[in-house]
Amino acid sequence: MTDAPAIELKDVSKRFRVRQGGAPTLKSAALSWLKGRGRKDFWALRDVAFSVRSGETLGIIGSNGAGKSTLLSLVAGTMAPTRGAIAARGTIASLLELGTGFHPDLTGRENVFLYGAVIGLTRRRMRERMEAIIDFAGIREFIDEPVKHYSSGMYVRLGFAVAVEVDPDILLVDEVLAVGDVSFQRRCLAKMDEFRRRGKTMLVVSHDLHTIRRMSDRILLLDGGSVRGLGDPGEVVGRYRAAKGLQAAEGMRREWGTGELRITGVRFMTSDGREASSVPWGEAVLARIAYRAERPIAEPVFGFGIADMEGRVLFASNTQMAGFDIPRVEGEGRVTVRIDGLALAAGSYLFSVSAHSADHTTSYHRLDNAFVLSVESDMRADGCCWFPCRWQMGG
Amino acid sequence: MTGLIRDVARRRELLLILVGRNLKIRYKNSVLGFFWTLLSPLFLIAVYAVFARVLRFYRAGDTLFMPRLVTGIIVWQFVAMCLNDSLRAVLGNADLVKKSAFPRIVLPLATLTANLVNFALSGVVLVAYLQIARMPVQGLAWLPLVLATHVALCLGAGLIVACANVFFRDTEHIVGIALLAWFFLTPIIYTFDYVPAGFRDLAFINPLTGIVTAYRWMLMSDVAADARLIAASFIMAWTVLAAGAAVFQKLQMRFAEEL
Repeated sequence: MTDAPAIELKDVSKRFRVRQGGAPTLKSAALSWLKGRGRKDFWALRDVAFSVRSGETLGIIGSNGAGKSTLLSLVAGTMAPTRGAIAARGTIASLLELGTGFHPDLTGRENVFLYGAVIGLTRRRMRERMEAIIDFAGIREFIDEPVKHYSSGMYVRLGFAVAVEVDPDILLVDEVLAVGDVSFQRRCLAKMDEFRRRGKTMLVVSHDLHTIRRMSDRILLLDGGSVRGLGDPGEVVGRYRAAKGLQAAEGMRREWGTGELRITGVRFMTSDGREASSVPWGEAVLARIAYRAERPIAEPVFGFGIADMEGRVLFASNTQMAGFDIPRVEGEGRVTVRIDGLALAAGSYLFSVSAHSADHTTSYHRLDNAFVLSVESDMRADGCCWFPCRWQMGG
Repeated sequence: MTGLIRDVARRRELLLILVGRNLKIRYKNSVLGFFWTLLSPLFLIAVYAVFARVLRFYRAGDTLFMPRLVTGIIVWQFVAMCLNDSLRAVLGNADLVKKSAFPRIVLPLATLTANLVNFALSGVVLVAYLQIARMPVQGLAWLPLVLATHVALCLGAGLIVACANVFFRDTEHIVGIALLAWFFLTPIIYTFDYVPAGFRDLAFINPLTGIVTAYRWMLMSDVAADARLIAASFIMAWTVLAAGAAVFQKLQMRFAEEL
């Protein structure tokens, strides 16, 4: 590793001129000029500044349209920034839309040479790598066939093999893990791990938060073209999950009730008293529910529920079920529920709170799916829960 | 301009591979491929020869008519094929352009070079024909300059067309019409002395007029035009190249976002 950053962006902004509809033609350009209606400006990136050390893997996350792909294009040098400067040192290979750029009439071998030449490698270097590429792609008997006869899987495998086997200094990866079958994806991940161990620099864009968190040294969070976070993978992913959850929760939120007893707010705390919207798996979390009673209310029942992002209830309980009797409330106050470890898989969850009468005839206030709580975990499993479990032979 | 040349020198391997690809695709891996590309100029020659005869455009016994026509069509064909192929030079490689930051100039340059190979083969056929027709050659020392000017014109116009088609996808319709007009404005099926005297000097603003005239003067000892007129035509051709290079240089960074 050297001290000089492999990639450096200084206050980079990128503006696109958005055209209204269809392919650009001279006719439409002339028409819109006559009508005095120009193109609209759209800033895909605004004042983005960061640097990536040589040998570092930087993950980039953000919702669709946040500017992730534009950022990769700028680093790859296929687009120029509107403002600011970008420096990247070394050969760059990109795993963007695998296999695009292959010419259907050329053979696999010829396409490999073409790709190498495009990213700036010599024929000799490509000849040296050819065997490794063929092996990794696993298409030895088809390498001298025109790629138009390839299956889509062979296409993708060859695309990936070429990009990683040309041994670039910087590898740009955009949503590669969305293609191919499971075994191929596993090999891709292994290859990227190897890449990382060999001290290569990687920029990885993915929506798969679990994978990106595991493989990145740092994560950059983009939102609307601006940097919203850069740092520790767990922390940035947690923040992103919480923000995404809030957005998703907007549509799921329901509120009703008579209003005699109002829930004025919910705060999540860790057991040491820090406020947190994201907690590690297995750690205790306290939900502090603030209320205000307009008049004295006898025997109120407070409840909470946890649902997944689709609104399916995973768990719900209340003071009555728990045998925790509240004789009466009046004015402002708080009631806190302590959950000793959320046995949930990593992800975001919707939190509901309610206050109703003991006989269930009157709903004072219900806030369904109004809050978001995220659970962080490295542990992988299917389903929405995570139970501690251990395997052994025999037994 | 020097920047463009340096880019190309650095990436000559890419240029060679792209030229090979273009030729391979055009000729579909067959030796007969080249003869297929000759079919179209031969057809043009046949059509114009028959029509000229039927319309009594030339006297029986005019031994220069056919050699002039054949020379003109072969010279024209290089320009026309370059421009037609240049339409797709950048657009047809959108995937490569969006993926990697190589100097874009290699794309139209590869199109040109592949067509130059084709033109060289056609040239052999042309010279063989002119020799069989017993046409005397002269001033072959000028051939490198004439050929370079011809190539400069093809490249310059090709760069402009390749760029324009990225930004305006209806360029191909315009190019089709422009090529038709250019064909008849150039002394291909006629010679420059058919042009009315008042317009003759003007005809040499068209760079191709000087180029066709120079080829005919060299390869079949045809009538020479005033050297100053030829020079004017040649200067126009190099101006087109300078303009094309400037336009391309300025716009190439915007290709990826337009594709």
